[in-house]
Amino acid sequence: MKRAYLIEMTIFRDYAKQLVGLGLIVSLCIGLGMQTPLAMPATLTCMFFMMGAMGLAAYDELNHWGLFRLTLPLSRRDVVLGRYGAIVTLGLAGMVVGLVGALVAMGVAGALGLGGEVGEAFSFDAELMGPMLFVTSFTLLIGSVVASVVTPIYFRLGQTRATQILPTAIALLFVVPVAVLGNSGMLDGGIPGLDLLSDLLAALETPAGMVAGVAACVAVSAVALAVSAALSLKLYERREL
Amino acid sequence: MSALIEARGLTKHYDGFSLEGVDLTVNEGEVVGFIGQNGAGKSTTIKALLGLFPVDGGKAYVLGAPSAELSHPSGAATKEQIGVVFDAISLPEHLRMADVGRIYARAYATWDARRFEHLTAEFGLDAKKTVKELSRGMGMKLSLACAFAHDARLLILDEATAGLDPMARDEVLDRLRDFVAEPGRAVLMSSHITSDLERIADRIVCIDAGHIIFDLPKDVITDEMGIARCRVADFERVAASGIIPERDLRYLRHEYGIDVLVPDRFAFAENFPDIPCDRMTIDDYMALTLKGGVR
Repeated sequence: MKRAYLIEMTIFRDYAKQLVGLGLIVSLCIGLGMQTPLAMPATLTCMFFMMGAMGLAAYDELNHWGLFRLTLPLSRRDVVLGRYGAIVTLGLAGMVVGLVGALVAMGVAGALGLGGEVGEAFSFDAELMGPMLFVTSFTLLIGSVVASVVTPIYFRLGQTRATQILPTAIALLFVVPVAVLGNSGMLDGGIPGLDLLSDLLAALETPAGMVAGVAACVAVSAVALAVSAALSLKLYERREL
Repeated sequence: MSALIEARGLTKHYDGFSLEGVDLTVNEGEVVGFIGQNGAGKSTTIKALLGLFPVDGGKAYVLGAPSAELSHPSGAATKEQIGVVFDAISLPEHLRMADVGRIYARAYATWDARRFEHLTAEFGLDAKKTVKELSRGMGMKLSLACAFAHDARLLILDEATAGLDPMARDEVLDRLRDFVAEPGRAVLMSSHITSDLERIADRIVCIDAGHIIFDLPKDVITDEMGIARCRVADFERVAASGIIPERDLRYLRHEYGIDVLVPDRFAFAENFPDIPCDRMTIDDYMALTLKGGVR
């Protein structure tokens, strides 16, 4: 697995460098637009998970690399686990870059003495660290769930066919449920246990609740990726290249 | 003589094409040329040998390991000893030469970075270029440099000399000859450039429509056999002489005469000194076998 992981990282290195630069600019724009540095690590974390999953799959079909890779001393299992290792590494790298970027932005805003709404939004506030960590871990959850959904499809169908199917799959999994729930009025108290959700959200505003929320997001992300990896292993074992 | 590749009855069915009971052996010290028309099943056979897909029937062993296990963790050690080159460079386009070396160094425990550098320099590959910037021929040279740089015992080359200029092909053939001279090694080489195989192969295996058509020592084809350039009357005379058994009398009609497959061109020349009889080439033999009629 280590060999496959290192090969993935070698292949993705140049793109990852571009992604860091691009991600920093995008997250800074979003941070400025939303007038909060909270969005910076959150954007990068989510973006890196998704781009990692999709970008790495794209390389598989370049010059039949995905086929040729299996002539190297790697098993299909190595390839799948290496891919997930690379996705997690890139996602976490996005998180670190985003956090550092946000801190640097706040530092620069303070050093330059920026005034106005932007200066106020980007002024360093220790109390912002907790929410920033939680929001980031929540986008880690979103990013890893998306990566968990798309990666088995890429392993089963290859990037070209998967790209044709994924918009429909994403819409069915993520957009349709939200639209149905939103329009059904169920979110206005119709769903049993909605009170519990409100209590949970309230609990997240306490320090202990926030720590628990971060832990839950990380745990659920890990479970989603583990389940996805197990599924990818089964699908890729049977795939005819 | 031990077999480095041993396939028996390999069968794989697709819509519109089937590999039907393919038998193929590559023994230690051999260069086996694998020929056939486009779509005949050469690449499919090679992929089946490498365990890149499950087969519907038959068994294959590469370096003693079942092909079906080569994509599993137990097959990784076997693949350390196999160098594979496909008909086009099979690496992502953005990689530079150093990245390619890095990838192979990570893949193979036996990777020899110095040898790779030496080979790429000898092949005239610019270390600063990316895979995308390489011409087809240069790309093949890079693939060959990779295959030669990890102390493989078995090389499986699928159209690996396609796109190489004659000088580079000469160089590669020399290297293959040196490679196979070491004990315990062998080469399976599919190619449409049969002149390369005439120079280097020990045995020629031909596949057509998923069936093995012939498997012969190369010298039997190029040294013993001949191709008689007959007129119609000559052809009837040859047929009537019985020097070639009727069931083996393969011929190909042309506008200007009939080419006849002669199993022993020296015996033929003694019996029919007036009929020109040329040396057989692999191309001629393939054409007579695949397209020729049997009397």
